Amino acid sequence: MSAPAATDPVEVTDIDLVKRSQAGDTRAFDALVTKYRGRIYAMTYHLIQNETEAWDLAQEAFIKAWRALPGFKLDASFYTWLYRIAHNVTYDWLRKKRIQGDGEFDDERTEHRAAAGAETTPKGDAAPDAALRNAELGARIQAAIAKLSAEHRQVIVLREVEGLAYEEIAALVPCSLGTVMSRLFYARKKLQEQLKDVYETTL
Amino acid sequence: MKPPSENHDLTRWLDGVMSDAERSAFEQHLAEDPALSREANALKSLRADLRTHLPAEMNVPYGDFFNSQIQVRLAQEESRRVSDSAHSPVAKLLHWLKKPWLALAGTAAATAVLTVALLRTPDADSYSRILSSYTPDIRVEARSFHDDAAQATVLVLDGLDEVPAERKVSGINVHRSENEPEIAATALFDAGGKRLLTISRDAVGNPQFTVTPPRG
Repeated sequence: MSAPAATDPVEVTDIDLVKRSQAGDTRAFDALVTKYRGRIYAMTYHLIQNETEAWDLAQEAFIKAWRALPGFKLDASFYTWLYRIAHNVTYDWLRKKRIQGDGEFDDERTEHRAAAGAETTPKGDAAPDAALRNAELGARIQAAIAKLSAEHRQVIVLREVEGLAYEEIAALVPCSLGTVMSRLFYARKKLQEQLKDVYETTL
Repeated sequence: MKPPSENHDLTRWLDGVMSDAERSAFEQHLAEDPALSREANALKSLRADLRTHLPAEMNVPYGDFFNSQIQVRLAQEESRRVSDSAHSPVAKLLHWLKKPWLALAGTAAATAVLTVALLRTPDADSYSRILSSYTPDIRVEARSFHDDAAQATVLVLDGLDEVPAERKVSGINVHRSENEPEIAATALFDAGGKRLLTISRDAVGNPQFTVTPPRG
């Protein structure tokens, strides 16, 4: 999630839209929503793996951004700032869900038994069509992601989807760099366990 | 189970964040440890597939509705904010009516939306339900919501020309009739009681939007 250079015309447009939004121009804000809704929705969807909830949370993120806009000093790119809000909104939701008993994450418990409870799909005949095989793999990866704990899913999305550096992930979560690396390691191991039949073939 | 430092090295190697010296040393280590090398290659393959199958941008279902709902929420918040400062539902309603976007010039758009508003179902005693809105002018956006404090359905027409400075809306009268819907009408008045605008329907249900010419 790198901020575009100051001379980037796209960013100049963002600055203009942000300034107009800060002055109360809801149409300018609507343009920002249109521009970034796909990326924000992708992030919320990857984190919670539920279309309806992801849709609502993405909306909530934009509304919170609107409320917070008067305090935005344009010292970061709008998207970086918006992404942080969306991440916090989504993660607050995940925390509440866990408090309500829907979550289960415990680093101490899970990191030492990465293979426990892992699910695999039996090997079948190789798909005759590469595109179909690719689509099936995509669906299986999505399903495997959905089975990760919230914390593991979070670091995978931040690293693999958004391409954030360890330091950025640590600041956003927040946690230490060591925790970021540990969570990335165990998240990948758990995914590998769930997709064992796929990745055993590469051994 | 490997020590955390080895796990971290593997993670950093996969993510390509090692220095040249670190990478060289780790790859030497991989060459000497076939099991670790197999694991590293499997994870590398997994990582490549993750990047392929987790898109950074996705199509938002019902994208236009997504945007319009946000705009409705923003309008509601603005309405509440005005209500808090005015402490009067009437004052708040008038505030909305005085907004620049309620322009006399935008007759076509307003007619279309308000026609729907006038088509109240008899059982909807407490509020008007807007089932759909349409503006012939694509520059005009129409949306609506029910404001509990004002006990009114607020129609927002965004994108119209500004109200001329001399046309101050100071009052509103809504005449409703369940039995004779054709006589239902909404009239806007200026401070002197002069009718500025009348919104109604004709005998066959077509919208009528009557603008009173400026004084002069």
